[in-house]
Amino acid sequence: MKELEFQEIVQQVEKALEELNIISPQLLREKMLEALAAEENDLAREMLSQVMENYVVAEERHLPLCQDTGMVMAKVEKGEEIRIKGGSLRQALDEAIRRAYKNNYFRKSIMSDPFFGKNTGDNTPGVYFFELEEGDELRIDLLVKGGGCDNISSLGILEPGSKPEEVERFVLRELDTKGGQACPPLIVGVGIGGNAPYALYLASRALSRPLGQANPDPRYRELEEKWREDINRLGIGPQGVGGKTTCLEVRIETYPCHIASFPVGLVCSCHVFRQKTLKW
Amino acid sequence: MQLSCFPSENLEMVKQMEGKKEVILKTPLSVEEIKFLRAGDKVHLNGVVYVARDLTHQRLIEDLEKGKELPFSFSGSVIYYAGPTPARRGEIIGSIGPTTSSRMDKYLEYFLQKGLRATIGKGERREEVKELLEKYGALYLLACGGAAAYLSTFVVEKEVLDYEDLGAQALLRLKVEQFPLLVAYDAQGGDIFKEGKIKYRNLALYNEY
Repeated sequence: MKELEFQEIVQQVEKALEELNIISPQLLREKMLEALAAEENDLAREMLSQVMENYVVAEERHLPLCQDTGMVMAKVEKGEEIRIKGGSLRQALDEAIRRAYKNNYFRKSIMSDPFFGKNTGDNTPGVYFFELEEGDELRIDLLVKGGGCDNISSLGILEPGSKPEEVERFVLRELDTKGGQACPPLIVGVGIGGNAPYALYLASRALSRPLGQANPDPRYRELEEKWREDINRLGIGPQGVGGKTTCLEVRIETYPCHIASFPVGLVCSCHVFRQKTLKW
Repeated sequence: MQLSCFPSENLEMVKQMEGKKEVILKTPLSVEEIKFLRAGDKVHLNGVVYVARDLTHQRLIEDLEKGKELPFSFSGSVIYYAGPTPARRGEIIGSIGPTTSSRMDKYLEYFLQKGLRATIGKGERREEVKELLEKYGALYLLACGGAAAYLSTFVVEKEVLDYEDLGAQALLRLKVEQFPLLVAYDAQGGDIFKEGKIKYRNLALYNEY
């Protein structure tokens, strides 16, 4: 049985949360620069220029890229043969959030109860999805996104036997009406299959991967590429002012599904894509 | 351009090209200045903005209904829909970008009746908002969402006015200099989002679904 110190996890997750809220990944900066070069709408260019300026100011002044430092999501894959010494994984994640959000002056946005609660004061708890795996490895995919883009999440209950075109139509329709509110250019996660809650989980899980990792299945890779192009044809543009770039990446995750149902989950991240993967 | 073309000394023209203007605007705002601007114009805002979001609006309305006196007037004022991160010691403010405006649509008319002239936020709003802006003579201004660290550099003063217990939702008074904005909805029904989408949309796709 492999052992891992509780404090080691806390420290690594804390550091990752600090960095992802302040420093944008290089690939994201490159994608944004490409979008800026392609954009013809002067207003869209203005928005993208401010996004690029923001990378610089955030890093120089050690300020969070976005004031909405989100509800932290962690997808955890834990091997059955690795043990955490000194506390539970949930406690470690909560402690890391507590420290990162206090020490770095990030916003505390979590209410202890939807109806009867008050602000927890330390941005805990996060939302955690634990998956038990074989082996002795631990992988934590951290994803931080604000309320604005989470609010356009959607569940589609399609007809069994639906074709990719029908799923795409659902995605386009949802984004056409709500996409501009979620701070485009977006990273779009689509989960297909499983049951209704699992489809939404698949979509979130798709977002929790690093940038630039297309689906390993060439059939889905092709769909990801086509859907991205079509979303960009909607013309919503950066911040909704009209333009060529509404979506930077589409990610599809699938799961076997019941003969009588066809759930599709849609979950997006705003352009401030904040993700880190930790492995032990 | 002759100076006499400008509606007031609170509005200074920076540029005018192909019908689009770029102006420096100073608060408090008047109806004449509002009506001079069109969706798609660029605005650099100087002066005072009040920061309020969801719960701040609820509290303000409850208190005003109870007859509470506010330490400022809504006449000619600007509300910025935002909730900043805490300031580090010695700093004025943390990161402060706009939040989604449509959540505040239901409160808008209440404050327009009190003389509110502009709101700052991000994203499309309900259709009725455009009618309200026309009726009262007010603007909806777009700030770049997710550019919160950058936008904080235009804030030169901050004062907590009330509701400190709400944390990030406290009522703030900010002084801003050259705060970069776009006119999203004007007081004549103009809508930057609709205009942008019509211009950049691939229509074949629109018909497809």
